[in-house]
Amino acid sequence: MAFSRRNALKFSAIAAAAIGVTACNKDTGTAESTVSAPEAAASTATVGSGSKAFLPPAKGPRVVVVGGGWSGLSVAKYTKKMAPNADVILVEQRQSFMSGPVSNLWLVGEVDLDFITNDYLQAARENKYTYFQATVVGVDKVGKTIQTSNGDIDYDYLVLAPGIDYDYSQWTTDPAEELRLKTEYPAAFIPGSETMTLRSKLQDFEGGNFVMTVPGGNYRCLPAPYERACVIADYFKREGIEGKVILLDENAGITIKADGFGSAFKELYGDIIEYYPANKVEKIDLEKKMVYTEFEEFEFADAAFYPHVRGGKLLEVAGVSKDSPFNKHEANIDPFTYEVIGEKDIFCSGDVRPMGFSKSGNTANTEGHYLAKVIAGRINGTQVKWESPLTVCFSAVSMSPVHGISINAGYKYDAEAKAFGFTGVAMNEEWRDKVGTNNGKGLMEWAKGMYRDMFA
Amino acid sequence: MERRNFLKVVGAGATMVVINPSMISQTLYAEDGMLFKAYEKVQLVDVDGKPILASALEAEKTYVFNYPHMATPCFLLNLPDKADNEVKLKSEDGVEYVWSGAVGKDQNIVAYTAICPHQLTHPNKNDSFISYVPKKMKTMAYKEGGVIVCGSHLSAYNPRRGAENLSGPAAQPLASIVLEHKDDDTIWAVAVLGQDKFHDYFKSFKAEFKEQWGGKRKAKKLVSISVATVALTEYSKDVIQY
Repeated sequence: MAFSRRNALKFSAIAAAAIGVTACNKDTGTAESTVSAPEAAASTATVGSGSKAFLPPAKGPRVVVVGGGWSGLSVAKYTKKMAPNADVILVEQRQSFMSGPVSNLWLVGEVDLDFITNDYLQAARENKYTYFQATVVGVDKVGKTIQTSNGDIDYDYLVLAPGIDYDYSQWTTDPAEELRLKTEYPAAFIPGSETMTLRSKLQDFEGGNFVMTVPGGNYRCLPAPYERACVIADYFKREGIEGKVILLDENAGITIKADGFGSAFKELYGDIIEYYPANKVEKIDLEKKMVYTEFEEFEFADAAFYPHVRGGKLLEVAGVSKDSPFNKHEANIDPFTYEVIGEKDIFCSGDVRPMGFSKSGNTANTEGHYLAKVIAGRINGTQVKWESPLTVCFSAVSMSPVHGISINAGYKYDAEAKAFGFTGVAMNEEWRDKVGTNNGKGLMEWAKGMYRDMFA
Repeated sequence: MERRNFLKVVGAGATMVVINPSMISQTLYAEDGMLFKAYEKVQLVDVDGKPILASALEAEKTYVFNYPHMATPCFLLNLPDKADNEVKLKSEDGVEYVWSGAVGKDQNIVAYTAICPHQLTHPNKNDSFISYVPKKMKTMAYKEGGVIVCGSHLSAYNPRRGAENLSGPAAQPLASIVLEHKDDDTIWAVAVLGQDKFHDYFKSFKAEFKEQWGGKRKAKKLVSISVATVALTEYSKDVIQY
């Protein structure tokens, strides 16, 4: 299917519940988009050490979960809970966890670093699985082994949850240029050093245009760029910084909670935020510090450029990726079981899923609970009924105290359209007064509960 | 039920009475007995120690009392409609149990633990993100009011049916508090039915217990004789509903 921009935008307008989310064709296991090229070579790649990881022998069926984000953490914990005989190993390359959700608040000092960071060892201890710190470099699907920077690990079931990667191809095909963009103006949507860089930028910012972009496609965390614009504008206001937040949106309008963000832009930050919908960035000139859209051009003092997203590179390495209607190289999976099409016992979850679910923490967490049931069901020999992931999502529009807005939605499958649509959508876009501060408190409460769910 | 029929089990720091399933009366039972725990029978009273009378409870107002531990809050509700009887419920582990129904002359008075089984959201002295949403009010968590809603992650529970989980991420009902309503219109709490999350709860909120109850040991103390029952709006400074 040729996926047009218009359809993509339709997805974004959440109020119009009919979103163009195509699922894979269940009968043939094919989808209409092209299969990514590098996968043929990848399936036989053996980059690992060739020696086994130093781990005790598995006492039960081994479930290896690759990626310790919101998805992987939820899958690991609940698989072990629902199939206590399983030997669950979470493979993650980071030494500690940093949350994407709530990180916008850390940028401006509204919460401590402590609030958005967590301990993988604690999660493993509390939930009786193994945390194995390593980078996965290859998957031997025939031998059912993954190769990691710390040795090979055999699996009975494999879950790949590497999260997003960035797709800069619309802006540049020159690796040097891409590297500069990533290093100097990171998107800060893969938590960690990018987030720290953005925080430093704000702390050092002396004025002028701070340019940010909202990509098209199904990008990670729909409301976050708008929340970030608000949070930064609020910071400029409080710090007396003579700066503007220029938000260049590839989409036709604010993609989610449009009334809430739209009114906040106007009423709270009318003289700080300049919002340009339907302004796709076509060129970024790093020397002149200029950014060009089809219609406008802006000089920037500093910036955070958020390009399109794509599925994590690991999927390509493992040969399980395919372009989705939204993004490149997402998971080639059955949308109900999350199992890779044509590859038994390998599952993909989290932000690499090709279904057009919102790429949010709450979605990944609830989906992780469900996938854990699916895998535990495989182990225990029980059938599992499909459950929709849930998208409960609070966003902040101003700080100290936090005023917020929120949305609650689930998904349902339309068999005729072969597509998922939103269902049970409820919005709370009132950020003013007590309702707004209650939403702000809800944001914190939500986050604490989620961290507890993954780490306690 | 006679005293000698109870099987006494000493838990960590608290004496807990676990009932033998065969001794549970015909209308109130759980598959293996582990989802029913009888505690000391405690009378619900107001802050002055006067008995709470069932007929004096305001309709659809959320009341709170702590039971069976000093720091485990429960909701007491006078529902606008008669509750169902003999409701089959299922815990997150798949254990089935039966909620026998409400008490009161209109069979509409119910009590549930106010600790969300999803991620343990509960009322404390500062705020409550969990509460009953009256029938005529709207909620983001469910298509209609007349439900208990946890605002942290938007789970909704049906108070007319043993706090069965209706929507949201919660995987099981709120545990219910078994009440007795006497001829003199007084109300007594006698047991907990369903899977409570007390163990996780006491593990998770050490700072809050210290601030509000003087430490975890005190927070875990079992209530005895009578317990004060207050409006949720008095129990928590801020009641937050979505």
